[in-house]
Amino acid sequence: MEDFRFIDLEVHSAFENMAIDEAIMLSMKEGKVGPTLRLYRWSPSAVSIGTFQGMVDEVDTDFCKAQNIDVIRRITGGGAVYHDYNGEITYSIIIPKGHRFAPNDIIESYKIICKGLVLTLNHLGIDSEFKPINDVVTRGVKISGNAQTRRNSCILQHGTILLDLDVNVMFQVLKVPIEKISDKMIADVKQRVTSIREVLNREVSIEELRQALQEGFSEALDIHLVPGHLIEEEQTLAKRLAEEKYSTREWNFKR
Amino acid sequence: MKTIDYKIPQGKMLKIKVKFEGRIIESICILGDFFLHPESTIEDIEQGIKGCEVNIELISSKIQKILDRSNAVLIGASAIDIAKAIERALSN
Repeated sequence: MEDFRFIDLEVHSAFENMAIDEAIMLSMKEGKVGPTLRLYRWSPSAVSIGTFQGMVDEVDTDFCKAQNIDVIRRITGGGAVYHDYNGEITYSIIIPKGHRFAPNDIIESYKIICKGLVLTLNHLGIDSEFKPINDVVTRGVKISGNAQTRRNSCILQHGTILLDLDVNVMFQVLKVPIEKISDKMIADVKQRVTSIREVLNREVSIEELRQALQEGFSEALDIHLVPGHLIEEEQTLAKRLAEEKYSTREWNFKR
Repeated sequence: MKTIDYKIPQGKMLKIKVKFEGRIIESICILGDFFLHPESTIEDIEQGIKGCEVNIELISSKIQKILDRSNAVLIGASAIDIAKAIERALSN
């Protein structure tokens, strides 16, 4: 069974979280760290946009500022995501190029890594499956979104698994004209996106989900999760990336 | 500057912001929730189709050449989808 460094559930700002993911990639490129799985939450709550999206097109930045919700551009593609501190856990998995989880076929690679989420949900009593391109769905409804980038001789895949979903806040954070936010539209979104608490109709705690993710990834990917932490160099790099890249207007509003 | 949202059938959302001079693309920004590996290829595409006349075949073949040259992969969108969205922006 392959050893993976496991950085257990931590809470960081959006800027720190994205900086840590990139810092791990850069350290892995230098051969200083091995395959890594991280679990994290976002505080304050934040909205992240895909690397090709326009910040002002997608996000009501005035609302976010007023509500102390951070906004950030990811280095991965995909769509805008509202990371509610109380409503989700994010994972990231960073592996070197050529790893068995990263075949050339990118969708196949999503499928392999997303097995960890499918088993996580299974442990919680939810049947789910991978739905290309990058989702995990239960009864056809999205419960997890994922995004991958391949650079620095590494593959990074991060994604969220929804514990709870406040569609009203989501609509205020994401730029949907207020006149369009009808009951019908809210109902439509509820048909397309769901959460663990909604499916199970019970109070699932963050700790229960954290435990399920640890076991789900370990079993599904046949990896041994070795508790670990960032090495000093990663911490320094992450601090610099958070300050000089991810918290800057230049990066976040570049498109 | 024209902006168009184009939902790709069975795919992702494209948002194109484009300035035309007649039928010629003067400047363009290709936005959306698609995936492109490597991501930096987007700038090559935006640069590469500047000055191009709006013609779906011409634009898509130019984009495809850039993708091939960079060994890049578009997921959730294709060169033709981008070309179609540009054409729609012009005719809008």
